[in-house]
Amino acid sequence: MNELLVTLHDSSLATWVRESSSLWAYPMVITMHTFGLAVLVGASTAVDLRVLGVARQIPLGSVHGFFSAMWIGFWLNAVTGVMLFAADPRTTGIFMIKLLSVAIGVLLIVLIKRDIVGDVYSSVTTPRAKAYAVLSLLMWVVATTTGRLMAYL
Amino acid sequence: MDQLGELMSAILNATSVDESVIRYLKSTDFSRFVVNTPWVWPLAETFHFLGLALLFGTIGPLDFRLLGFMRHIPISAFRVLVPWAVTGFSVNLVTGLIFLVATPDQYMSNVSWWLKALFLLIAGLNVLFFELTQKSRVDALPAGADTPPLLKMIGGVSLVSWFMVLVWGRMLAFLGNAF
Repeated sequence: MNELLVTLHDSSLATWVRESSSLWAYPMVITMHTFGLAVLVGASTAVDLRVLGVARQIPLGSVHGFFSAMWIGFWLNAVTGVMLFAADPRTTGIFMIKLLSVAIGVLLIVLIKRDIVGDVYSSVTTPRAKAYAVLSLLMWVVATTTGRLMAYL
Repeated sequence: MDQLGELMSAILNATSVDESVIRYLKSTDFSRFVVNTPWVWPLAETFHFLGLALLFGTIGPLDFRLLGFMRHIPISAFRVLVPWAVTGFSVNLVTGLIFLVATPDQYMSNVSWWLKALFLLIAGLNVLFFELTQKSRVDALPAGADTPPLLKMIGGVSLVSWFMVLVWGRMLAFLGNAF
């Protein structure tokens, strides 16, 4: 472990998350990380499905609320994710794949929003937005799978 | 919260779990297969989390519309997402049953599991009530219309109960006998 990771590991917050027997420590942090996943991946998946042609009755340009939900989920998981990483800072290959897929997934949120939001009554999507949506779904599957597998590998 | 855990353990001790059910489930070939095949559990867990995200992402928007948010979109538009929520739920029902049959004692003797089941029941009855009694009323509401108090209540109950299903599902590993 390099010096920075040792400092992180030994910080009082990391020690509390790792060693406290309170349900508010590790159990609640990981529960909120799962809730953040549900909000971020859930809302993003809903928009991806809409871009791909599901629920066309929902005007594409008016799904601002979905994007707000994604950012709430993202920041909840950024904070809880840092806490979980600090408690057990292992930079494994599978964790790097998870980080990369999350980064690409978040970038795709921005790209998709740029493509669809604006024209409130728009109901058609561009082939480019559809490609982003497929890639977005793929990134969330990779991120969720690698995240889950970190508990076993 | 730790005191809450103790209280719930007391409640659990008061509810008797049928040992013969647990014994039977553990004796099945399928149970042995799941326990003895290393890749089945992580794979089922992964699908359980993907199903969870799909369920939350498609039922959540409808719940918020029922609460009165995003009024510019008619409720009927969000109802188109319900089959996707059912898909997510089905994935989680199947994978959840895989966990239960594999290690029934881990769940049936765990107070979190009973709380999760309770909120699943509330969420299920809420959906059933909505689908059976409010469908025509909801479809008549145009874009821009606020929702009556009953629909707001249904949306609120749905959000809270699915959140509690997630929380107690996650707490399975930390309350009672951890795995």
